[in-house]
Amino acid sequence: MSMWYEKYGKEQDVVLSTKAFIVRNIKGYNFPDKMSDSDFDSLEDKIDEAVDKTVTGNIWSANALGSGDSTDSSLLTPESQLFGINMGILRHPEHKRIYYNDDAGLSVVVGSGEHLTIRAMSAGYDPSVYSKAESIAVNLERKLDMAYSDRYGFLTSNLKLTGTGFKMLYTVAIPAISKSNGALTTLRQRVGQYYWDIYPFAEQGELGNSGVYIITNVSTMGVSEDEIIKRGEKLLSDIIQFERALREKVATKNKVQTSDMYGRAYGLLRYASIINRKEAIDALSWLRVFKEYDDLGEVNISWEKINKLTQDVCWEFIPTIKRNSTDAAAIRAAKIKTILKGDD
Amino acid sequence: MKCARCGAEVTNKIIKINGVIYCENCVKELGYDRFLKNPEELLGAAFSPLDEIASSFAKMAELDFGNSALTCPKCGMSLREFENKGIVGCIECYNTFGDYVTKEMFRQQGADEYAGRAPGQSLIAEDSLIGEDDSAEEKKDTSKADAKVDEEKKEKAEDKAADPAGDEKKLEKLSKADIGMLTDEELTEGIKLATKLENYQLAIRFRDELKGRKDGE
Repeated sequence: MSMWYEKYGKEQDVVLSTKAFIVRNIKGYNFPDKMSDSDFDSLEDKIDEAVDKTVTGNIWSANALGSGDSTDSSLLTPESQLFGINMGILRHPEHKRIYYNDDAGLSVVVGSGEHLTIRAMSAGYDPSVYSKAESIAVNLERKLDMAYSDRYGFLTSNLKLTGTGFKMLYTVAIPAISKSNGALTTLRQRVGQYYWDIYPFAEQGELGNSGVYIITNVSTMGVSEDEIIKRGEKLLSDIIQFERALREKVATKNKVQTSDMYGRAYGLLRYASIINRKEAIDALSWLRVFKEYDDLGEVNISWEKINKLTQDVCWEFIPTIKRNSTDAAAIRAAKIKTILKGDD
Repeated sequence: MKCARCGAEVTNKIIKINGVIYCENCVKELGYDRFLKNPEELLGAAFSPLDEIASSFAKMAELDFGNSALTCPKCGMSLREFENKGIVGCIECYNTFGDYVTKEMFRQQGADEYAGRAPGQSLIAEDSLIGEDDSAEEKKDTSKADAKVDEEKKEKAEDKAADPAGDEKKLEKLSKADIGMLTDEELTEGIKLATKLENYQLAIRFRDELKGRKDGE
């Protein structure tokens, strides 16, 4: 079965994924930072009873961490991509547990910052993920006594989440905006008007200028879940239009050069034996910018594959055991080749 | 009224230094007991020697961080720990660090009033809820929760119905006015309306303004 991020998604030329996170804590327990081991054990049992296994029946435990980080297969994302968790920085990994459905698009994470994090994730633009997450949240709220007050709403350890405890995240690939002078500043202002935030997938390092950004609501107080979703819809509509307009401008004004970069990018991804993350993500950006303007259709690659590769490279698992960077680049190149072979 | 340094209830005498309220003990510990003396005594005293002024500056610095003694009785988190980490340790922390929590929330989110749904309530159609099975027990739980939610809704609706028309408008008008220009009567009315309409932030603003005026008299 294909995973959630490998599936078709709406507006997938711009939007990589839509994620809804809802956090909750249970009355009678301190928040995770102040919990004892015995409290954790008791909490885990309580949650285990309440979680509906017919929906999220698979269980992943962080105790399995490190079991395969020296093998080739672990390089391109196992759990980190599926659950959106950076496995390398987990605190108290022994207390992490994830209940998830078959494509890992729905999950309930225990003990990651708050007692419960309910996640619904979908490829492309899909605001309906909220209703999926809410549905699981409501079910748990009816079975467990949640930390809640009329004044503050749902109480959380992190005050940035107090209130609805709800975050909507859109991951967008906007190479044309990020490479055009002043466009990103304009976009930031627009995002700010909706009281949302935009930040790069990675501030620095190999993915520093990847053109991949995360857009999320700032407030969980003073605004209802409904309003958060509506603002997100309006904002994403603006961003998609803006990015497409700039791609058209780049592709039509400098058609020969852009077409050349497009062909080279595909060649690099398809035939390179060693490729670093920056090269890979830059090449994917060129594919993204010119794909819709490739009149000759010489390059045959679907949006699903471009998105899968982008997410594979972004969420690449960094093993705790140090790996030789050339080896890593060779493994990466081989993986990408294998994925692209299917389109030939 | 609570001491901002130790959190103890101030019962005898309220001492305000730079706008912050302290109890007598804390003022003594900080070396500010001269604030407890009568003005006549102060007038009769000689000018402070320079080293005393220097030590005053040191104590002033301590005032900024003087709240470390305030600790959550349930999880043991101190105010300083909360300020450093930006997270709270348990539900009780919200009561213990009340105003600090509100301020921090406002700073981070630009709002401190809840506008979301209640536990167990859903924005989506009930029949599309994921994971609702048909077991009798669960149905019972669900119907209980539904009844609770309905009750809450009913209470809220009754509250609203009982509101004299225009309460919200009145409050909006008061909230937009220059607070310094409002009369004491208007402030009192504002506190009542804001509390009734659960706009506690505004109620606190009106209360503090009114209190400030009374303290100044």
